Amino acid sequence: MRKIIALFCFTLICCNLVFSQAKKPTIMVVPSDNWCITNNYVMEFDNQGTLVKIPNYKQALQENSELLLVISKLNGLMAERGFPLKNMESVLKSLESDSAEDAMISSKDMGMGAAESPVDMLKKVAKADIIMQLTWTINKRGPKKSITFNLQGLDSYTNKQVATAAGTGTPSFSAETVVLLEEAVLSHMDNFCNTLMTHFEDMAANGREVMIRIKKWDDWESDLETEFGPDGDELSLIIEDWLADNTVNGRYNTTDATENMMNFEQVRIPLYYERKGRKRAMDTRRFIRGLSNYLKKEPFNIVNKVTTKGLGRATIYLGGK
Amino acid sequence: MKYFKILGVVIITVLMCFPTSTEAQSKRRARKKANIATAQWRYEIEGVGTGREGTYLLKVWSYSKRPDVAIEQAKKNAVHGVIFKGFVGSKQGVSTQKPLVKSLNAEKEHEQFFKDFFANGGAYMRYVSTTADGAVAAGDRMKISKKEYKVGVVVSVRKDELRKALEQAGIVKGLSSMF
Repeated sequence: MRKIIALFCFTLICCNLVFSQAKKPTIMVVPSDNWCITNNYVMEFDNQGTLVKIPNYKQALQENSELLLVISKLNGLMAERGFPLKNMESVLKSLESDSAEDAMISSKDMGMGAAESPVDMLKKVAKADIIMQLTWTINKRGPKKSITFNLQGLDSYTNKQVATAAGTGTPSFSAETVVLLEEAVLSHMDNFCNTLMTHFEDMAANGREVMIRIKKWDDWESDLETEFGPDGDELSLIIEDWLADNTVNGRYNTTDATENMMNFEQVRIPLYYERKGRKRAMDTRRFIRGLSNYLKKEPFNIVNKVTTKGLGRATIYLGGK
Repeated sequence: MKYFKILGVVIITVLMCFPTSTEAQSKRRARKKANIATAQWRYEIEGVGTGREGTYLLKVWSYSKRPDVAIEQAKKNAVHGVIFKGFVGSKQGVSTQKPLVKSLNAEKEHEQFFKDFFANGGAYMRYVSTTADGAVAAGDRMKISKKEYKVGVVVSVRKDELRKALEQAGIVKGLSSMF
């Protein structure tokens, strides 16, 4: 009986190790600001005397059938590769219906609404871990028409371009724009997926690249230059040491550091961590929780608050919750 | 007399068979040479258009002393090229593509798989077809030496299915394989 139980446990552990998977980033196709402004899908407002244009995605998706065709084609091709995308139009609709529901809902006992801070409100936007930014222009020379197509994969947290495919299609006398667009998508998609795969392979080898910010509350009496421990190291150096010990190959860059804040870019966090003997997928929230707990303990005893943005961005506020 | 009659029939039969057997042997030899040329990357491949969804439209230039063998070999070369070589778009609008397999040693690492895959009549045939029934344009059949032709054939390679097959065999990683 003991042997059977041991075998069962061994199999369970093996399965867990084999099938443990990294957190899958979400991807969404979004028309570029350039495309939206060129095609006049914009909202304009006066920001203290400066005219600001912001893209009106809802109008673009409702009125431009070429855009819908390209998004649909891209979604289809990515799904065929086993990587279904978030559909922007559906996300925008969900956000609207969620907002309406949140506004109407009240608790049974006291009739209270759902709690929502201004930050919660700000976070209610269409988002994805990787944005596929789409731009195309129609070139005309006499009766000939061609399409210049540009597809960029942008990491939402590091702001890096992680994938790309761009080029100009074959000029045609007779083909309709939609046919040329379809051809452009088909001809560029493999190159886009290849560069995206290179990004994922780099992630597997060197860890996920994320961004971490450290800030302090206004009313906290200490700051990042306060000295702690027997060696009297400044808090900023202690945080850097923790990052060096816990990132993949100690890889991170300190972009900014003052007594009030620190910004870390190109922080490579491992894809997995172990908990209760099981391998689990890591994200920035889980990673930064380690630093948060470290700072809460002796000799620092710093109460702190962690906020995150998707898989790849986290902020710790020091000196309170 | 009867003995001579039988001998005569045998000789005539052998003589009738001989040219056929020489023809078959010559073709077999040419095919063998063409296979060696494929393994030595002796072929050229270029993208000539955007194919239907999931396909590449390619022109493959193969070498052989027999034009018919070169045309046959074009299919094998096309699949071989898509897997190991990649290709350059020959005109505006046709994008250059990298090979499906990234590792330089993939052919050696999976030697048995590719040996079976590229055997005559092997699984590669599933992923390729000639366009225009393999008809060769007038300028695409060139005699480059006394004993050799260079033949350009346009073929269509079902790259999505080919990639899936390689993913299943564990040779190529899928986009979502690590998630």
